[in-house]
Amino acid sequence: MIDKLKTILARADADYADLRYETKRETKISFNGPELTHVTVSTTDGYVLRILKGGGFSTLAFTREADAEKALRTALENARLIAKNSRQPVRLAAAEAIQDEFMPKLEEDPRKIGLDEKIELTKKYNALARSNPNIATTSIGYSETIREKHFASTEGAAVREDLVTLGISGLITSRDGNLIQNARVAVGGSSGFLVLRNREEEFEKKKKVVLDLLKAQPVPGGVHNVILNNSLAGVFTHEAFGHFSEADLIEDNPTMRQKMHLGAKLGKDILNIVDDPTKPGQLGFYKYDDEGVPGAAVPLLRNGVLCGRLHSRRTAAEFGEPVNGHCVAEDFSYAPIIRMGTIFITPGADEIEELFAKLGDGLYILDAKGGQTSGENFTFGAQYGYRVKNGKVSDMVRDINLTGNLYQTMQNITAIAEDFRLSETGGCGKGQTNIRSCHGAPHILVRNVVIGGK
Amino acid sequence: MEKLLTLAQAQEIQAEIYQLDTDLDIMTFENGRLKDISSSLQSGISLRLIKDRKIGFTYTRNLTDREELLRNGLVTLRAGAEAYFDFPRTGSRPELKTYDPAIESLTNTALAAECQRIHRILSGLTQAQVNLYAYKYVYRQRVLNTSGTDLQAKSSAYHMQAMLLLPGGSSGIRRGITGKSFLPASDELLNFLVELTNPAFRETRPQTGNMKVLFMPEAMYALTWRLKTGTSGKSVYQKESPIADKLEQKIFDEKLTVYDDPLNDQMPMATAFDSEGTPCRKLTIVDRGVLKNFYYDLEYAGRMKVPPTGHGNRSSAFGGDPITIKPNPALDYLYIAPGGHGFENLVKAMDRGIIVGGVLGAHSGNIPNGDFSIGLSPGLYVENGVIRGRVNEAMIAGNIYDLLKEIVAIEDTVYPTFSGTYPSILFDNVRVATRN
Repeated sequence: MIDKLKTILARADADYADLRYETKRETKISFNGPELTHVTVSTTDGYVLRILKGGGFSTLAFTREADAEKALRTALENARLIAKNSRQPVRLAAAEAIQDEFMPKLEEDPRKIGLDEKIELTKKYNALARSNPNIATTSIGYSETIREKHFASTEGAAVREDLVTLGISGLITSRDGNLIQNARVAVGGSSGFLVLRNREEEFEKKKKVVLDLLKAQPVPGGVHNVILNNSLAGVFTHEAFGHFSEADLIEDNPTMRQKMHLGAKLGKDILNIVDDPTKPGQLGFYKYDDEGVPGAAVPLLRNGVLCGRLHSRRTAAEFGEPVNGHCVAEDFSYAPIIRMGTIFITPGADEIEELFAKLGDGLYILDAKGGQTSGENFTFGAQYGYRVKNGKVSDMVRDINLTGNLYQTMQNITAIAEDFRLSETGGCGKGQTNIRSCHGAPHILVRNVVIGGK
Repeated sequence: MEKLLTLAQAQEIQAEIYQLDTDLDIMTFENGRLKDISSSLQSGISLRLIKDRKIGFTYTRNLTDREELLRNGLVTLRAGAEAYFDFPRTGSRPELKTYDPAIESLTNTALAAECQRIHRILSGLTQAQVNLYAYKYVYRQRVLNTSGTDLQAKSSAYHMQAMLLLPGGSSGIRRGITGKSFLPASDELLNFLVELTNPAFRETRPQTGNMKVLFMPEAMYALTWRLKTGTSGKSVYQKESPIADKLEQKIFDEKLTVYDDPLNDQMPMATAFDSEGTPCRKLTIVDRGVLKNFYYDLEYAGRMKVPPTGHGNRSSAFGGDPITIKPNPALDYLYIAPGGHGFENLVKAMDRGIIVGGVLGAHSGNIPNGDFSIGLSPGLYVENGVIRGRVNEAMIAGNIYDLLKEIVAIEDTVYPTFSGTYPSILFDNVRVATRN
């Protein structure tokens, strides 16, 4: 396949071109309530061509090999048009033309496990989640996505890599009269099928949460001091801070670019944030990004000071900063864009008990329920929470959504625990979905957070 | 395609093929710079099989290996998901005018020129950063099955959205135009954006409390997402809908009428059949506050033993590739009927309140229950009918089954958004949480 890609690229009238071909194999199994409602096993494939010509850089995704000529022609026209309408020509930062083939080591390759076994495991977890009369329904599914990637460039790069992503996840819904509550449950990762086995405890735990939510009170809206658990602190790191470490989101926004200059003091000295996709076994792991550049660990915030940024080759050249292999696509339908790999706050010094003592009165809120960011502002939901009085966890509260300003909130992180946990499933939707978007954190204490309440 | 159906029929299997070919060009202008043109030429085929009341589903991009596609389909068929329907036989459907051939001659050069023109005008009227997004789209879809259905349609769409950024990043006032082919942005549209944006350069800090809230069409999806969920045949079947037993009851303010109209070919993407080949029709969901209908695809109509309503669509609330999504009940052509008030009059009617130009976090919260708790992105504070400035770090929260009873007035014009075609709606007594 790499040879075929090189043959197509040889016909490109370009200063630089690359071509990625992927086969994507997906298996999905869904249970709704007690019933198996959906099973699919599918294989799809396609190409993504990128052309740099005269300072314009354009992308074209196509699925039929017969469209390669048209793709070359159209991408070239678009690149010329971009060059004509831009104030400064696009350049790509230098990167080594890697020639390598990398297959991840899996603890049980899902391709060697039968569909029936996958259905049975999902059915077992679904049954656990349903086993209470106050559970109205469940929507729990198995998801297996295997991207078999081939990448070649006119600079001589030739990279072959597989990404295997697995998860069993979904929603558990409880009901008492007209009150309906739900909570998400998810197990998974990129390390192989073994990560899905023996996870009964997670489904039992979330069933209990969703039943307890039927007795919880809505959280009062207003300003609160809060402790975020690992999942929520990870989402905060991803949504509020991480997206503005992605160079493409700030490059044409002079206000944000000024505020996110390297050296800016954004948080207290205790706050350190890193993005590291290089550790095998965690969800966000990859060896090469979709520009054929090796993924690298990038310290983003050191002692509260901005010290790094995530780049593609294009933005690395524009910012004059190092290439670090963070340009990733959802699949063969999309151009690669700058993405976090595994972003996390590094562990702090406090034991969790000390964090609660420092909080005194406030809220302990847990587990993410989606987040979004726009400019300096972010919003994210929590699945459940508890009031905290004198450092002691008390009643459960529900309907929790937080909003805040990135810069103020970063300064309001006043304590960081020594524990640490990474997310097992992802789904960042920055124009395209990144199912391997991984985040993590210790428990953190944040002061003066605006909570919507109900 | 026909060979694939023949292969299935030879094994006494019902089969359905959904074929989609798309041709898309997306252009992004940021701060006066043509940042990107992304194009795609995509094709795909979804295959569903039914035998012995079981159903299977698979898909591919290239039909180079029919046998493999069928083999994948048979594996999923044997897995044993229950089928509650047979593939229907649908005869010819009224031909809608969904395709304007002029779209084929719309070049990316012309698109770029329009973006430059809009940028020039707006930059002369406001200090806000101007971001533009435009696309042209042609798609061909075909649904055929072993019951004899063979329906095809070709459609075109043009869309341009202008956003004026407020201080602090990418939150801004935005509005789009949509057509079957190119439509120049009108002065009226551009002036509207400027008039809302310029006063919002000031920051205001209103007190937390209950007040009037004016949802612009661009923010309405946060509410209609919950309404779509509550009226879905799937939610009713799964006992997740809080209004499952409320048909023919007045549940909202009588000023509210909501309907789905896939046949309106004044708008792009209209269709006479859904992605399962069921005929589409206009379906009223809420008529003057009274809940009139739930909507169904073949599966949930079969489960509920009611007729399908033509809402078996291959879409999801989070987007996605239609080829890979199995049909499910979806309101993809939703309209809220206009009221009788101009936008300016709605603002003047606010003694104290917030204009919601966009929201953050619409996807979080307890959607089946109708709850929302959303960040304002942006929110503009109004006092005595005058915009005083933008509000940072504020949330509004409530439940649509309460909120939609509190309608003060509805705008007299509707605007297309990605989620539906809506007017602005002014609500009373909404909880707004701020830092003060």
